[in-house]
Amino acid sequence: MSQVREPAFDRAVAWVLGTGAVACFLIMLAGLLAGLFVSGPVSLRIERVGVLLMLATPVVRVVVACFLFFREKDWKYGWISLGVLVILMLGSVFGIGEH
Amino acid sequence: MVTVLLMILGFFAGVLGALTGIGGGVLLTPVLALYFGISIRQAIGASLVAVITTSTASSFVNLQRHTTDIRLGMTLELATAFGAGVTAYLVGYFNRNALEGLFAAFLLYSGITILSKRGKVKPLEDESALIVDQTAVPPYEVQRYPLGLAASLVAGALSGLLGIGGGPIKVPVMYIFMNVPLMVATATSNFMIGVTAAASAIVYYRRGDILVDYAAPLAVGVFLGSLLGARLAPRVHSKVVVYLLVGVMFYLAGHLIFHLLRGWL
Repeated sequence: MSQVREPAFDRAVAWVLGTGAVACFLIMLAGLLAGLFVSGPVSLRIERVGVLLMLATPVVRVVVACFLFFREKDWKYGWISLGVLVILMLGSVFGIGEH
Repeated sequence: MVTVLLMILGFFAGVLGALTGIGGGVLLTPVLALYFGISIRQAIGASLVAVITTSTASSFVNLQRHTTDIRLGMTLELATAFGAGVTAYLVGYFNRNALEGLFAAFLLYSGITILSKRGKVKPLEDESALIVDQTAVPPYEVQRYPLGLAASLVAGALSGLLGIGGGPIKVPVMYIFMNVPLMVATATSNFMIGVTAAASAIVYYRRGDILVDYAAPLAVGVFLGSLLGARLAPRVHSKVVVYLLVGVMFYLAGHLIFHLLRGWL
């Protein structure tokens, strides 16, 4: 039986996603604005931080859910979340290439 | 100047995505590859960042409505993330003609599918979205996990290959075969897209296929566009927008094919 309604769990995961989305938006916007007023690589660096944080947000979401599942002693879904995390990590190992 | 154009492009893709339920990634990749002078691999990379942005923002809203099945999503993500990671890796060995051809085929296929459904992209979603706040999600028991995992693997593989979300595959499978209510299927599919796109985006980034100066303005535009689109959605006759979108899809497919043929002749 799948349970959709677990308000506290939903809120915790929602908080990660909401914070990630808004923070990334603000950082990228700051980077774009910096491009207007500051010369040099400053704006690109800020934009890079925003983009990397955007890529990291779903990963953090999996980490938080994994932690919450294990804390609830929901072993099955704890291990499933850990599996998703391992697949995500493998991507950053195999992505290295010169193509 | 390019930055401003990218923001405008992202903005429109975000509005259209939120209005029609057809993800912006379908449009972003070909437009970037054809008109912004970057390779199709870099276009897919930028589009993936935009796709993560939309998924993250809209999942935030769905989670607050408690319509997302996190356990189901996490289980299927095993398959989507794996599929996405594998194809994202393989894309490094594809040549650009193959990718452009695949994308053109995908655009034509999606356009024809939408036309054959007479523009009904999201059959019941409109009504269910309105009553979500008052109504409890009906109890349900998820069935046929193997089928769901197989469909998710395909959706993930397409995501890594083309920089799209794969919602049109996952939602019907969850709804029709896995016994999941439609509003839960839609929310859960959206929820999964972030992790799926991240699995391939990480590979693209490591390979150097995510150009930050393209991805950032695009993501900013998409973020603002999907906020506006979500507000406009109840007031806009989405069928007209869907037909407009199909027209754009056919045009882009035609241009991609023309681009390919010109390379060969």
